[in-house]
Amino acid sequence: MNRTQLFNIADNWFKNQGWKSFPFQKETWTAFLQGKNGLLNAPTGSGKTYALWIPIVLDYIKNNPDYETKHKPGLKAIWITPLRALSVEIKQAAERVVNDLGAQMTVGIRSGDTSNAERAKQSRKMPDLLITTPESLQLLLASKGYDKTFEDCRAIVIDEWHELLGTKRGVQMELALSRLKTIAPNMRIWGISATIGNLQQAKEVLLGMGSEAYENSILIHANIDKKIKVLSIIPEKMEAYPWRGHMGLHLIDEAAAIVRKSKTTLIFTNVRSACEIWFQRLLEKYPEFAGEMAMHHGSINRETRLWVEEAIRNEELKVVVCTSSLDLGVDFAPVESIIQVGGPKGVARFMQRAGRSGHQPGKESVIHFLATHAMELIEASALKKAVAETVVEDRIPYLNSWDVLVQYLNTLAVSDGFFPDEIFNEVKGTFCYQAMTEDNWNWILNFITKGSQSLQAYDEYKKVDIEPNGLFKINSRLIAMHHRMQIGTIVGDATLQVKFLSGGYLGSIEEWFISKMKPGDAFTFGGKKLELYQVKNMQVLVKKADPSKKSRLVSWMGGRMSFSAQMSEMLRQEMYTANTENLTPELKALAPMFKRQRKESIVPGSHQFLIETFKTREGFHAIFYPFEGRFVHEALASLLAFRISLLTPISFSLAYNDYGFELLSDQEIDMQSVIDNNLFSTEYVHSDLQRSLNATEMARRKFRDIAVIAGLVFTGFPGKMIKTKHLQSGSQLIFEVFRDYEPDNLLFQQAYRETFEHQLEEGRLIQSLERIKNQEIVWKQAQKPTPFSFPIITDRLREKLSSETLAERIKKMTASYMKNEK
Amino acid sequence: MTVTISIQNHTFILHPTGAVFWTNKSILLISDVHLGKVMHFRKHGVAVPESAVSKNFDQMNAALDYFDPETVIFLGDLFHSKKNTEWQLFEKWVSETTSKIILVAGNHDVIDKKHYQKLEIEIYSEIATNGFLLTHHPEERDHFFNFSGHIHPAVKMRGIGRQSLKLPCFFKKPKQMILPAFGEFTGTYFLIPTEHDCVYAIANDEVIVVC
Repeated sequence: MNRTQLFNIADNWFKNQGWKSFPFQKETWTAFLQGKNGLLNAPTGSGKTYALWIPIVLDYIKNNPDYETKHKPGLKAIWITPLRALSVEIKQAAERVVNDLGAQMTVGIRSGDTSNAERAKQSRKMPDLLITTPESLQLLLASKGYDKTFEDCRAIVIDEWHELLGTKRGVQMELALSRLKTIAPNMRIWGISATIGNLQQAKEVLLGMGSEAYENSILIHANIDKKIKVLSIIPEKMEAYPWRGHMGLHLIDEAAAIVRKSKTTLIFTNVRSACEIWFQRLLEKYPEFAGEMAMHHGSINRETRLWVEEAIRNEELKVVVCTSSLDLGVDFAPVESIIQVGGPKGVARFMQRAGRSGHQPGKESVIHFLATHAMELIEASALKKAVAETVVEDRIPYLNSWDVLVQYLNTLAVSDGFFPDEIFNEVKGTFCYQAMTEDNWNWILNFITKGSQSLQAYDEYKKVDIEPNGLFKINSRLIAMHHRMQIGTIVGDATLQVKFLSGGYLGSIEEWFISKMKPGDAFTFGGKKLELYQVKNMQVLVKKADPSKKSRLVSWMGGRMSFSAQMSEMLRQEMYTANTENLTPELKALAPMFKRQRKESIVPGSHQFLIETFKTREGFHAIFYPFEGRFVHEALASLLAFRISLLTPISFSLAYNDYGFELLSDQEIDMQSVIDNNLFSTEYVHSDLQRSLNATEMARRKFRDIAVIAGLVFTGFPGKMIKTKHLQSGSQLIFEVFRDYEPDNLLFQQAYRETFEHQLEEGRLIQSLERIKNQEIVWKQAQKPTPFSFPIITDRLREKLSSETLAERIKKMTASYMKNEK
Repeated sequence: MTVTISIQNHTFILHPTGAVFWTNKSILLISDVHLGKVMHFRKHGVAVPESAVSKNFDQMNAALDYFDPETVIFLGDLFHSKKNTEWQLFEKWVSETTSKIILVAGNHDVIDKKHYQKLEIEIYSEIATNGFLLTHHPEERDHFFNFSGHIHPAVKMRGIGRQSLKLPCFFKKPKQMILPAFGEFTGTYFLIPTEHDCVYAIANDEVIVVC
């Protein structure tokens, strides 16, 4: 069959559905059938799924003219989705195409939710089209004879590639692809990505630096214009607007009014705990929404989430309070309004969320921005401009992620074993490991076979064996089992399952939260009040709590996001207009706050760098306002505190948000000498940062994920009690032993590198220091906290930095019982 | 760098390694060394640096050289798990040690008694002497002051300017003293002192009284 005939089949199918194909879909079909690889830039809900399922099936038809009567078994295409929840939709789309075109192809899902029986069945006979996750794909590479499974596979599609890019799951994907290129030589590689700043690079990461696959590839843009309308929720009386970040609950009535007016509203919060609170309060204040409202976040069990998604589609819900868990995926046609609670921190995320509404053709997406505190209204105003100008962020891919490489090599060693020379070239061809040296590679091999150095005769290290023919292989069944369980635990935090005593799985909760509770204590989770009965075998057993009992809301760590460089720039520009006549409605509404700010201090202009100092009961505060986003402030605070601590022995507590940072001390900071000594200099930034204690603390936190991924911390299998007696250890402890005994360990060093590149964003830090250098420093000694400073000084999550000795510091302290006596 | 305290008219010296020296009886108390932990991990494919093994022995030697005790009593969890090659290093260490060695067994001490007996190490589940009770798990018993381990105590300290510190410590209650974990590759557990308690925090090579 030639291409025209094939296209006729597809066009007819579209016609039968009452649809018309988009130009980008046809372009994709053509490129695919020409044997090209590529990246398709298309937003959710644009028909991207059919842009690739169709040519996959057409390709099969082309190669199997008797496709209607005969079935050729074996895996033909893989569809990777970052979210398990999306797989059902994708399967339905595939089945629709396959059935209607009469191709005798089977479609299957393999993910963490797939039953063991189903898996075993698949292992005997793979479906023709397999929908799976990056983790499950790794697990397939960990099974014996995997090369036979993939040898006739002709396509792999990585959906939502922008979500994977810039994460270690993306690196996992790069490695899997490097292997598949060898064992499935006829495989085309396609990615699908929403709009991000670095699409070209995204394609390069997907296909490999200068690889054959990259040479034969194409970037296709869907070019679907979508109108987005951004509305800020501004209350009647601005005087009552809180200065610091609450949950935004003071605007609950305004939010409820929007809910009433729309068919379905999604309320997005930035963190899961805010999601829980909003759900609770909305229900308390508007009981009439009961039965028509739901909650959706990543820790709620899958069945409930699926039910919520289905109910949205069926127009059964008026309002859903959710987190980024609903950012991705399938279309929810009935959704008319979106409310974003608190700053979304990035333009891309904001636009993606906005795009969840108004799916009918020609309809515009409406998103309401609900600022949780006054300063955030400036953000709202800046976001409006960003959306209008489509300023979108880059996703920065990881480089030299040794932890993922260690995991991958163990995976290959568990299945059929590997020969290093062959695998080296594959790994080296990926974007992530393009700069890997022979030394690095040998270190990694040494690490998995000998546990890095092994000098002593009494050592008993056991993991990967080197067989006489040079094959690297894991032979211990126990170690193999441990490793298989570890694959897929790329997300770090130790989580426990919450279950009713009577049975019934509710979701998952982080260990640190539950560790603070005693049996009998009550907490609210997933909108239910629960009483803790017992923690056993990685399970939290609960029963319904007495409704009158005081309960705590579950909270989750993490989720602290930072402004992107683009967002910070927009915010600064917006802020500078506050001193002009040209005010947006948001800035106008902020007039009372600006007035108050100007009374004590100033609203800085583009040529000014503002520093405020004042004293409270807590000590001496110094606040700096670079407006560069949280992560850069973290670095700047660390750097400045370190440099001041060189002038005099002093201890600081550091706090930061997206607008500025605070150095708090029990002694007054000599600000004049900070200015006179040019402490904002760009010289020695790297070494100063490295020497500041803070970098160690941050690296320690980064190391947590690294240790889990590299298999240094054994987390066990969720829900299953595996005997890991005496093998429990925290990553903290391992971090310390590496620091003390093996500082040249690549995994240990990686923690620092990630801190500097991904957390502290050293590049941006230097840029902002350059900018400050050209600004006039304005130091305001205020009598009391200013509106700008308020959200920062009330932040409880703090870092410490000190140049005093431990003994000196202890003398000034009291053990924490002093607090309890009050 | 050490701190000397008096309990029931006996003198005790707290050492920054986490050991306690009972001057009147020339006994050195050491708790929760968790020997063999590093090797146990390595044996199961977790590459904890091997050089951490020798640190425990160095620390024990440091404490023994400092006090030169007649007797060393380990308050449990001397070995982390089953026997492995670190046992041979322990054997060697025992043969080079002149002090008498006693083990009050803890929950981790699963190695068969006869192996200890071969090294002339006595094993007890507890020791009661001169109004003092030595156990692994902290215990309150009438007429006794209890020395124990097991918990790996640490304390959080706070000061103005939102300063805070976390340090391992000796944790003293009216009738009880809980020793910090002596071992290198062991974790800690935060205790909150009440007004009757006293904490001796370990700040690198110094013991500092906080009460």
